[in-house]
Amino acid sequence: MRATGVAAGAGVLWPGWARADPPGAREPAPVKPPSSGDLSLLAASPLLADELLAARALDAAKKAGASYADARLVAWRRERVSVRDDHIRGVRRSSEYGIGLRVIADGAWGFAASPRLDAKSIDKLAKRAVAAAKINAKLRREPVELASVSPIAGRWVSPHRVDPWTVPPKDKADLLIAASNSARAIAGVAHVSASVDAQREEKLFLSSEGARIHQLLFRVRPSLTATAVDRRRGQFASRNHEIAAMLAGWEHVEDAKLVDDAAQIGEDAVRKLHAAPVEPGERTVILDPSNLWLTIHESIGHPTELDRALGLEANYAGTSFMDPARTGELEIGNELVNFVADRTQPGGLATCAWDDDGVGTERWQLVEGGKLVDWQTTRDQAHWIRDKTGDKDGHACSYADSYSSVAFQRMPNISLTPGEDGKTTEDLINATDDGILISGRGSWSIDHQRYNFQFSGQFFWEIKNGRLARPLRDVAYQANTVDFWHSMDMIGGQGSFRLGGSFSDGKGQPGQSNAVSHGCPPARFRVNVVSTAGQERS
Amino acid sequence: MATLSERQAKKITDTLLGAAMVPELLVSVRDRSGGHVRFARNQPTTEGDVETVEISVTASIGGRTATAVGNRSDKASLEALVAEAEELAALSPVDPEHMAPVGKGAYLQVEAHDKATAKLGAQDRAAQVERAVAVANAADLEIAGFMSHREQSVAVATSAGAFAFASDTQASLTTTCRTHDGLGSGWVGVESHRGSQIDAERSAQLAAEKAEISHDPKALDPGKYVVILEAQAVADLLSFLVNALDARAADEGRSWFSHPDGGSRVGEQLFDTSITLRSDPADKQNPARPFTDAGEAHKIVRFIREGVVEKLTCSRFWADKTGAPAIPRPSSVLLDGRDIDLLELVGGVDKAVMVTRFWYNRVLDPRTILATGLTRDGTFLVEQGKITTAVKNFRYNDSPVTMLNNVLALGRPQRVVTRGGQVMVVPPMVVRDFNFSSLSDAV
Repeated sequence: MRATGVAAGAGVLWPGWARADPPGAREPAPVKPPSSGDLSLLAASPLLADELLAARALDAAKKAGASYADARLVAWRRERVSVRDDHIRGVRRSSEYGIGLRVIADGAWGFAASPRLDAKSIDKLAKRAVAAAKINAKLRREPVELASVSPIAGRWVSPHRVDPWTVPPKDKADLLIAASNSARAIAGVAHVSASVDAQREEKLFLSSEGARIHQLLFRVRPSLTATAVDRRRGQFASRNHEIAAMLAGWEHVEDAKLVDDAAQIGEDAVRKLHAAPVEPGERTVILDPSNLWLTIHESIGHPTELDRALGLEANYAGTSFMDPARTGELEIGNELVNFVADRTQPGGLATCAWDDDGVGTERWQLVEGGKLVDWQTTRDQAHWIRDKTGDKDGHACSYADSYSSVAFQRMPNISLTPGEDGKTTEDLINATDDGILISGRGSWSIDHQRYNFQFSGQFFWEIKNGRLARPLRDVAYQANTVDFWHSMDMIGGQGSFRLGGSFSDGKGQPGQSNAVSHGCPPARFRVNVVSTAGQERS
Repeated sequence: MATLSERQAKKITDTLLGAAMVPELLVSVRDRSGGHVRFARNQPTTEGDVETVEISVTASIGGRTATAVGNRSDKASLEALVAEAEELAALSPVDPEHMAPVGKGAYLQVEAHDKATAKLGAQDRAAQVERAVAVANAADLEIAGFMSHREQSVAVATSAGAFAFASDTQASLTTTCRTHDGLGSGWVGVESHRGSQIDAERSAQLAAEKAEISHDPKALDPGKYVVILEAQAVADLLSFLVNALDARAADEGRSWFSHPDGGSRVGEQLFDTSITLRSDPADKQNPARPFTDAGEAHKIVRFIREGVVEKLTCSRFWADKTGAPAIPRPSSVLLDGRDIDLLELVGGVDKAVMVTRFWYNRVLDPRTILATGLTRDGTFLVEQGKITTAVKNFRYNDSPVTMLNNVLALGRPQRVVTRGGQVMVVPPMVVRDFNFSSLSDAV
């Protein structure tokens, strides 16, 4: 983990979830390897039994006229244990397994997928994918172009200490109920809900160029929400725990000390209910990493997707205010603003060793001293920006969220580089005469070119004369992306850096979900603060 | 490839029910086969033909419940799935809110399967793309879009004797045209259970027209405006209200529908008298699923009648506890309108902002269902009954509750594009005092 240690200033607001990662290795070792878990877990994989069918799919595709093909055997397991108040609400496990075959024929992409794994179905699948590619090729204006990469044979397991599937659901539910009860013990708390989602994603990738990559990833997402109700005044307020989702095993949940923190979450919910309404207007805000990560995701993550900037997502997620032609010169913030993309970051939800094009993952600079210097790219996008960035084979950002999904460019972990002077959250608060400290993820919304955004949070402290003065409620901040990143005038140091993340970053048609993390220290901004309180009804 | 017939689906649910060791089982199977194509920069980009299967088993013993979901339908896998659900259930704590599975019941007859739509393939998709791209090329515009189609079979069965089966089809096309300088954008979306409703040429023409008119927008000051919301924009906001129609949240004081003295506000006049919100899965033009994943029947329900709240959705547990009728979250949402063309609505207003659709909508305050989001892909100024200029996109901070109170006029309801599988048919609407809170430079 690039960040450890406890946030200074107001420890009650930040559960200490940052943990060190176990060591490991990737085979073969890349330049900057993400550490691997126990590779022996792959030896007993049921996917191996279907490897010959995947190879058959590649052969059939080539025979049908494909110039390139890759086959992914993908097995997902998901588990969700959720509780409400003192009882279980649901235990659900799901699994999904199938094959996705992607081809290039006559210069166009084709794809077909099925859970039916037998020779006859596989042959049909290949014919279908190639036939569709050939049909679409007639409408292509230029052929799809793949950057040349050397085919890899490799294996990787995401680092974890405890496989979540070895922990009985009852133990999980008991832990959540204990945490819920600890929040419910606070007077004024009416309801608590809590859950843990776990994911196990395993894939075996074969390509017609000879690549063979076997990877296994574990992700967990704990959550807890306390709701306080004041029936007399017709008011209620909810408070979420700020714990982050992680590429990790069950140990992340155990280490998070949910039960210890839950009472604080309950108290916060009650405090929120009685907090003072916010005064709208131009204000100084300090954004805690538990809040800022999502603002980074929306305002920097999405507009630096190259496909998006070039119009490939225009019909759904939108385009980008960043113009690829201005790579290297476009100013999107001041000189304190530096962003690094990194699919090797320990604990990062988008971390893996090779992407779904079979390209080795890496770490690269996206924004340097406030200037846009590079993009998120894949193997088939590399040639669109090569003359601007000099990057040969793309940045390994390809991902498909199921056997049945087409791999395309998805967001890597993108993080804000901490300041060099080692400031803490407390330093930022002390240096602020009049402001608001915002933590946690609230409601969020941003336009389809990523200029205008409005974000809320979970908890809001008014800062007066360098001290936390009183809690506020109904706070949201609204800004233009470029103004916002230009207004950043103070930033925390390495010790205050934290990762936040989401399981469900949406993009594409049909919609696909990507898990991604963003790290940052706390930082200070100038924004337009708005009240999210609706008109009280008569 | 055809999806499961009723007989084939029943064979699977019978195998699952037959393998049960526990007293209560709820099982379902969903088999889907479909295809899609994306296009952008005036050419196809990616496409696919995809088959998916989802088999779900919920097992309960003594109030301990768990669900296991898989996608393999051979006998051994089905039996293993039941065993997994049973093992998980045995390990789970007792749920004091547990309800036994539903028993045998009647379901509405719904005609939602269209044979021609079930047969669509790569060639049909490409033909639509070709027509859409031709329109954009002729108009010297950039075009992007997405066409998808699918056939689906769903069966639900319980150990208490329920069996429900439905097969349906769906097709949709969304298109965006943009001017080459990136300063104009227009969007059109069509969705139906009949693929024949999709006409890429017509969609692209409308999107192109919007892109051209939306070019070079004028900035209006944020503030309260009379707005003409197209059906898609109405639906984008309305869905938050539909989600809030929950009896338990209301009774527990967690909702806009909560009464300050306890209980809910059912029976109160809360909206304009022109507002009637219904659900009808058997609607001929826009059929929807007649049962839930738990085998509960979706019935014809009137939630709001002439502005008065008549019903809220209510889980079986909460219904049992409170005596209210159990009403699942609806599969179809119909907001009544009047037989008036969108252009007639436009002709009838003196000054208004016309909105094609909203984007990135999020609830800010569940107490008031206050939401935020942005206008997108066609926002215009209407003066003296005519579209006079394009205006810059706005962020709004407003509530569907206010929208349904400030209605000035309703148009002809139409099917809109949704993401969650819910069928929504709503009218365009003229609404006063709609709150635009800031400007966005996005096009």
